[in-house]
Amino acid sequence: MSLRLLNPNAEVLNTNAAVGMNINAATGLQDVLKSNLGPKGTIKMLVGGSGDIKLTKDGNTLLKEMQIQNPTAIMIARTAVAQDDISGDGTTSTVIFIGELMKQSGRYIDEGMHPRILVDGFDIAKRATLQFLEKFKTPVVMGDNPDKEILKMVARTTLRTKLYEAMADQLTDIIVNAVLCIRKPEEPIDLFMVEIMHMRHKFDVDTRLVEGLVLDHGSRHPDMKRRVENCHILTCNVSLEYEKSEVNAGFFYSNAEQREAMVIAERRQVDERVQKIIELKRKVCSGNDNNFVVINQKGIDPPSLDLLAREGIVALRRAKRRNMERLVLACGGEAVNSVDDLSPDCLGWAGLVYEHVLGEEKYTFVENVKNPHSCTILIKGPNDHTIAQIKDAVRDGLRAVKNTIEDEAVVMGAGAFEVAARHYLLNEVKKTVQGRAQLGVEAFANALLVVPKTLAENSGLDTQDVIIALTGEHDKGNVVGLNLHTGEPLDPEMEGIFDNYSVKRQLINSGPVIASQLLLVDEVIRAGRNMRKPT
Amino acid sequence: MREIVTIQVGDFANFIGSHFWNFQDELLGLAEEPHADQAYKNQSLDTDVLFRAGETQQGTLTYTPRLVSIGLQGSLGSLSSHGSIYNDVPSYDPSHVATWEGNVTKQVAQPHKKNLFLQSLYKEELHQPTPSTNEIKDEDLVKCLENDVQYWTDFSKVHYHPQSLYEVSGLFTGIQGFDNYGIGKDVFSKGPCGEEMNERLRFFVEECDHIQGIQFVVDDSGGFSSVAADFLENIADEYTNTPVMLYSARGPGTYMNPLSQKGSISRALHDAVSFSRLSPLCKLIVPIGLPSLSTSKVSSFLCIKDAKPFHCSAVYAAALHSITTPFRMGLPGPTVDSEYVTGSMDVSGIVSMLTGQGRQNMVTMLDVAIPAPPLTGVRSQLNFPESLYSLTPEIAVDVEDLEAIEFMTILGALHSGGKQASILEVKDSIVSTYENAVTRPRFCHLSASLCPLPVPLPFPSIFGNHVGQRGELLQNPIPGSKSRGSLDVHSIPIAARLRSSSAVLPFIEKRLGHLRKFGIERGAAGAQLLRSWGFENDEVGDMGETLSKMVMSLDPYSQVSSDSD
Repeated sequence: MSLRLLNPNAEVLNTNAAVGMNINAATGLQDVLKSNLGPKGTIKMLVGGSGDIKLTKDGNTLLKEMQIQNPTAIMIARTAVAQDDISGDGTTSTVIFIGELMKQSGRYIDEGMHPRILVDGFDIAKRATLQFLEKFKTPVVMGDNPDKEILKMVARTTLRTKLYEAMADQLTDIIVNAVLCIRKPEEPIDLFMVEIMHMRHKFDVDTRLVEGLVLDHGSRHPDMKRRVENCHILTCNVSLEYEKSEVNAGFFYSNAEQREAMVIAERRQVDERVQKIIELKRKVCSGNDNNFVVINQKGIDPPSLDLLAREGIVALRRAKRRNMERLVLACGGEAVNSVDDLSPDCLGWAGLVYEHVLGEEKYTFVENVKNPHSCTILIKGPNDHTIAQIKDAVRDGLRAVKNTIEDEAVVMGAGAFEVAARHYLLNEVKKTVQGRAQLGVEAFANALLVVPKTLAENSGLDTQDVIIALTGEHDKGNVVGLNLHTGEPLDPEMEGIFDNYSVKRQLINSGPVIASQLLLVDEVIRAGRNMRKPT
Repeated sequence: MREIVTIQVGDFANFIGSHFWNFQDELLGLAEEPHADQAYKNQSLDTDVLFRAGETQQGTLTYTPRLVSIGLQGSLGSLSSHGSIYNDVPSYDPSHVATWEGNVTKQVAQPHKKNLFLQSLYKEELHQPTPSTNEIKDEDLVKCLENDVQYWTDFSKVHYHPQSLYEVSGLFTGIQGFDNYGIGKDVFSKGPCGEEMNERLRFFVEECDHIQGIQFVVDDSGGFSSVAADFLENIADEYTNTPVMLYSARGPGTYMNPLSQKGSISRALHDAVSFSRLSPLCKLIVPIGLPSLSTSKVSSFLCIKDAKPFHCSAVYAAALHSITTPFRMGLPGPTVDSEYVTGSMDVSGIVSMLTGQGRQNMVTMLDVAIPAPPLTGVRSQLNFPESLYSLTPEIAVDVEDLEAIEFMTILGALHSGGKQASILEVKDSIVSTYENAVTRPRFCHLSASLCPLPVPLPFPSIFGNHVGQRGELLQNPIPGSKSRGSLDVHSIPIAARLRSSSAVLPFIEKRLGHLRKFGIERGAAGAQLLRSWGFENDEVGDMGETLSKMVMSLDPYSQVSSDSD
């Protein structure tokens, strides 16, 4: 206790109290998130101090909103959030799994067992479970034409835990089509190529997939057309505004005429650039009724807009950097960085470009493109918090589909995997383990059951009945999950309930690591807090 | 019209901003007020430079600052992050949740109560004819603000656009923990934060027909300086030719707590790293924030409580307002005068003036005289330019620098006796003082406006008892209370000056010295810390290089570069 000598105010917790504190924190966090899990979980409406509303059923969002103070809880929360960063889902599961591991360990520790032995058992169990997962997973062959049905099932399983059924089913199609649209053979999927745009307008059921792009700005000239058909699209990153070329160069002039002359010269350069675009437009649009749309990443000032408008060209300025990439993927052509490279080959094509105005917000739809490799999910909703929640769900859905394509495998859901893994651990792995580490394996196996247990609890079913029914079926050799409506066992494969392989793997990997670290803490020292107390 | 977009990052930056926008709002209000002073009616200032006109979905017209404000989650107090005008009142009824058919639970955080001032603003908005007994007295409002301002929104009377306010969430650290460069390092790049900030800035820039520049205020006392550095890097990338003026501000709080040895090394390194990372990313950097504003010369006529960010930020905001006034003067050129204003400038003009000539020094000091002394008369034994004192810390005083460049703005100057001085008189008087001065700067630009700094109601009571109603300096103190606020002082003349001079050398040298001592030298005490902030040795070396280049540009004979060997 040398610390005591150095700082008499330091607070020290010894082994039992320290582990006790960690277990309490872990189960506390578990209790908060538990009710979220599954399609029968509870949605949370968070009202902030200023009256802002957040709706969420997503563990990830919830953790970020809670201002967690307890250091143990922060550690778990960070792990869970990292889980989401890596695999896109499974935050709630991570938290409740860690909580349950701690809870199960608590029992053995109370009986006098050393945490080290439990941790050894966890390690064995973790490796065995991961091996089991390899055997248990359902491989999916992706190839050139992925099985759309299986993708839909995975997306639906995720979405139904976030949104009501009809909405989830509607989004399922949208999401699967979106991912298939941007997928290129032999390349990793870049989900950024799916734009997620939202409008506070109408209802959530008006959410749709736009094969093409929706931009959140419009043209800035009153004479430009609001709707054009058969358009050549020029995607460019060329400054079409008059600016002093380089700030440090400065203007050196001795009288007003000289200054005027320099301004005119600078202006002329911009005009020449605009003129080059106009020439290209004339070249491709003369003699037909095609239109010409310029979408620029840099600015376009009013005189340039004027010139373009007079020529019947629709021009948008300051497009998102990422939209430059998306536009090219959606419409074809290429992004141009200088007007010197202009040629008809750079141009993309869209059947329809139109503007939609909501108050001061303008949206430009670029639709009817030929073979889109980029698309937009347009989320609509009556208010901001509904939109935000759908957006979160869409992100998770996209990740789920992407994971499935990249994993080339799925795992049966509805608690089937957890029950099967427990069965495997208890009946096969445990026997091979020497000594008391067996108990660690047992604790791990029982902790896995927290997923079906919580699912049952959230559906208002009797947990014990459910677990007995499920384990009974597994003992008979049938792989079953839980039917949340009836409480009876069901076949996840028949019902199309599939989880992501990578999410499960990540979960089993990270959960025990954190739990082990927390269990091995044998002293908690709290000191130095009030040295830096804010004034 | 040449627009400016303002960015405020960090808590103290938002405090300054809040006062800054209150001044703008007050000017807008006074221009329309029938009984207001003539000076406000003909401001010749284009408010569209800072504000944008918009429209809500319901068709209500709006006029809001062109602003991106970034703070930690929970730093907005009682203000909704969607602003106050664009949102219809949401339904808190859990049964109205449209996206879920199962159970709904509602978790309500302790609501932040709107203080008396915000309540009265809200009432005014509804045009409720308040019964006279129930009326909130202005005295009470001022008192309530003096006593409990906790958040920067507590005293803000401006409506904000929903795109303006962004809260960084999910950090798992409190505000106390968010206090060094390393901790903010991943905020921008990981997760959606950086993207969201860029998007919001883009929203405002896209609307601009011809943006003249970005004014960026950052609270560089903690993790926000690395957020700002990443943000600036993106800006430099995306808006290459748009000049950025950076004010790196800090509240007095950061200097106050005595630190352990470890803490002070961390602080010293933070200051050095933050300065060397931020400065190359902008065109002009103005460090502001004195360790003790209340005892500095700036506060000769003020009585400020250092512990209150509400007080200190008001002074910095006033200086900022004066400096930015020339950007809004609707004149064709810098040498054209009108009856009301003179010396119009745009952001790139100022930047090239201060940094482009002779030495390429881009670290500039900000001086201010609040209230400005009379142009002529009894008190002007001191000549006018000498009555301005620096808001930039750690600089040398009484430095004679023949290469100095100055840019001065004077708003609403008075003669002794309180008579308003015309633009011509201001110019003549300043020109003659410079001509008679012993040492003259190499170049000096003067901007002036007849319109003084209005003192809005939520301005703190920081004026001493020598300050009169129109900001004139009185011979004899006014009996009564020691500090006077917006009820007694309605406007003040103010002068502010940006100065590029070698007086700033100690500021840079100190940072360079710390970086070398704690970060670069063999076995330096903070090397480990820098590594934990994610800097490799050569990066730290580069930072030292950046700083010593700055020193060299100001003082070619400096010894700093040689002692590293």
